[in-house]
Amino acid sequence: MTAGLAIETRGLSKHFGQQAAVDHVDLAVPHGTVFGFLGPNGSGKTTTIRMLLGLAAASAGTVNLLGREMPDKLHEVLPRVGALVEGPAFYPFLSGAANLHRLDSASPHTVPATRKARVQQALERVGLEHAAGKRVHAYSLGMKQRLGIANALLSPRDLLVLDEPTNGLDPQGTREVRNLVRSLAHQGTTVFVSSHLLAEVDQMCTHAAVMSAGKLVAQGPLAELRQAGSTRLRLVTPDAGAARQVLAGLGLAPAPGEPDAAQPQAAQPERIDVPGRPAVPEPQRARLDGETIVATLGTGSGQRAVLPEDVVAQLVQAGVRVRGFAVERESLEDRFVALTGEGFDVAQ
Amino acid sequence: MLVSVPLFMPLAVGVVAGDTIAGEANLGTLRYLLVAPAGRVRLLLVKYAGALAFCIVAPLTVGLAGAAIGAVLFPVGPVTLLSGGVVQPAEAALRIVLIAAYLAVSLAGLSAIGLFLSTLTVVPVGAMAATVVVSVVSQVADQLPQLEWLHPWLFSHYWLGFGDMLRQPLVWDSFASNALLQAGYVAVFGALAYGRFVTKDILS
Amino acid sequence: MGSNRLDSSARFQRNSTQGRRAWLRWLPAVAAPVAIASGALIGSLPAGASNPLPAKSPAEVLELAAGHHVQTFSGTVERSAELGLPELPATGKPSAAASPGSVASVIELLSGKHTARLYVDGKDNARVQVMDQLAERDVVRHGSDVWFYSSKDNTAAHLTLPAHTEDPADAKDHAPSNDTQTTPGLHTPAELAQQFLTKVGPSTAVSVGPDVSVAGRAAYNLLIEPRTDATLVSKVAIAVDGENGMPLSVQVTARGADKPAFTSEFTSLSLDAPDPSVFTFTPPPGGTVKELPVPDRSHEPADAHDPGAKHAQAKGNVAVTGTGWETVVGTEHGSAAAAEQMLQDPLLSQAAVAVPGGRLLSTALLNVLITDDGRIFAGMVPPERLQAAAATAR
Repeated sequence: MTAGLAIETRGLSKHFGQQAAVDHVDLAVPHGTVFGFLGPNGSGKTTTIRMLLGLAAASAGTVNLLGREMPDKLHEVLPRVGALVEGPAFYPFLSGAANLHRLDSASPHTVPATRKARVQQALERVGLEHAAGKRVHAYSLGMKQRLGIANALLSPRDLLVLDEPTNGLDPQGTREVRNLVRSLAHQGTTVFVSSHLLAEVDQMCTHAAVMSAGKLVAQGPLAELRQAGSTRLRLVTPDAGAARQVLAGLGLAPAPGEPDAAQPQAAQPERIDVPGRPAVPEPQRARLDGETIVATLGTGSGQRAVLPEDVVAQLVQAGVRVRGFAVERESLEDRFVALTGEGFDVAQ
Repeated sequence: MLVSVPLFMPLAVGVVAGDTIAGEANLGTLRYLLVAPAGRVRLLLVKYAGALAFCIVAPLTVGLAGAAIGAVLFPVGPVTLLSGGVVQPAEAALRIVLIAAYLAVSLAGLSAIGLFLSTLTVVPVGAMAATVVVSVVSQVADQLPQLEWLHPWLFSHYWLGFGDMLRQPLVWDSFASNALLQAGYVAVFGALAYGRFVTKDILS
Repeated sequence: MGSNRLDSSARFQRNSTQGRRAWLRWLPAVAAPVAIASGALIGSLPAGASNPLPAKSPAEVLELAAGHHVQTFSGTVERSAELGLPELPATGKPSAAASPGSVASVIELLSGKHTARLYVDGKDNARVQVMDQLAERDVVRHGSDVWFYSSKDNTAAHLTLPAHTEDPADAKDHAPSNDTQTTPGLHTPAELAQQFLTKVGPSTAVSVGPDVSVAGRAAYNLLIEPRTDATLVSKVAIAVDGENGMPLSVQVTARGADKPAFTSEFTSLSLDAPDPSVFTFTPPPGGTVKELPVPDRSHEPADAHDPGAKHAQAKGNVAVTGTGWETVVGTEHGSAAAAEQMLQDPLLSQAAVAVPGGRLLSTALLNVLITDDGRIFAGMVPPERLQAAAATAR
């Protein structure tokens, strides 16, 4: 990972007319990583990938692939790059193997002598050896997807760019692709996977970047990204005023009460109880109730000076009655929804 | 030959040349070819070479098939040229090849136009239709006396001049003029296709 | 911040290089048409007088032209005429409309563009190939044998010339009337020039323009301008080969026009003896062959280039009134029935307009009047002249 970046973009932008499809994206994909490229549909992922591969010209900015400037050194770089761009595309009237032959022979950089063996091997890797002689016309979507991945694996590659590789695959296929990606990464190939499937990225990737509306909103190692979200503490106390003072004294900024927002989580168990046990006495509920105070413990990376246990200790010391205390970390999903806004189709 | 030259040949060439790039773009295979990487200039040249090969094979096929059918239906004998002289079958075969060569050259310009049009769109049918329309327009314009100043510049101007290959002695003037004209068209539309294709964003 | 500014300036540079690269890639697309246009322009420029011809007076050029005796050459003649005749559908195309002998075929040869190859070797060997699109009309003279051939209908006609015929051009004038469609296209620039040169007289201004280049040969540009209003011709330019005096091109400009209405010129010319094989002609198998009678010299058309005259010759005795540019050729007798029949021809009836005393077929250089009583008058004169000639001849 110290060996530099497999993909590096600087200020990469693409305008279609007035609209910026990709807006000043600075990607940094370290060597040897499995890099998840996340974003909602239409966030500019595929356009970015097209620019990475020299299919589309950047309106501004630079692309470095495997340490070489693109698209100037396209012919040096692309033979080392396998790609699946926006779904597979093949000649329907040719067999799977013939398609791979044709695409392989399209490049002047491949060795014709080993072509047959390499095609065979690639087909085996994606489990298509039995359908090799079938016309692509008769392939299912998943088989085409596999064939597309096989095409990316025709030659030994240093970098794989896979755009939505598990699209249309059955669960087994998805798992196979995941294993394939892992084994490739194991061999040292950098894999750049674009996806809108959070779970997929979560399971496969070591690093990730998130695109939203053409902008890169986050990137880094997955673990870091998970942490990057704000950690909040949620305090339920009847002594709101004293608690605020304590928190403020700890430098935790203003501690705004958010009773409404807190309500669902804090009061949920009781809410469920209410319909079941209508006879529960009012006072009992009132006793648990208190003002809810939410405070952000720290955002981003380093400035996490205050630890939760210190907060509790201080509160107790100040005689604040703590009825509830929780440290909440955003889930990856929350994080992405927060980054990309609503409409991120995680469920898909 | 008479029907095939103004109508069927341009139609066939339009289909072949119009499909070159747009067909790949439509299938989506264009992006995989370029990522392979096939190289844009190389791909363009290969595609144009393919179209040219078709231009060579198509008239040759028509001519030889016609000759073969003629040989089956009628006794093989001397063939009368336009100048009234007769030539033996061997010489006649040579003349057919010459005509095919003439037509191949004639269609080179249209192929280049088709290639260029093909780089403009991802809808192959559009490029094919446009190429055929261009050839029809050119042929119609060639008939309009009002556009006489334009006639020598129309790529279809010499298309029917292949009759010169049937004269005795052979007339090479139209062959040469035609070749020059077509070379011009190939240069202009080849350059346009290059400019367009090399700067094009492949978004399909 | 500092690094940021650096970044953005680097980005700016990058943008401009990208823009330049895109521009460079369109460069061939710009360069190719420019190169072709400039090439065409240079080609169309008159070849510089790199080797100027010695200056000659009009009289000397006339003499040079009259004295030429080039009898061995081969070349291509291009003839174009914009006489203002109705355009035929698909001019120059093999079409049924231009069947032999019809008025359409005459008009077809008189209008539009025609290319013919000429092979002449001495007095006895000549071949003319009128090259139509996918068709050809040939006249071959070899010794005393003259062959006419049309590839359109694969017909050949043969004629044996009487021994006394001297001029190879004569052979063409023997074209039988049903084959006259070949005749008008067969005049070489030299023959045409001869016709105009005979008109040179006191009523003509003759001058020599700047040298021209025709078929790659330097030539004197002889300009002939009739000094009378009684003709449709405003100017005739004849290019006379600077070396041997052979007229290489004839351009006739009509009155009131700035571009020639009629042009006949060599586009290529070789003074080497043609291959003797071009003069041999054997009628192809499967075609019809007609043996023509030896023509009666008295029935020879006065001016085969002139359709009116041809018809005149067919219908009755020829009366010539006027001289030089004002010459009017007319028939002395005619019948209304014949006129009616002639006007049956759809093209002729469409082209001819009714005028007092008959119907007029008007073109830029030639007017033909068909009187109501069937007489025909023709000449390179205004219609009034024809009407006057018709009136006086009565």
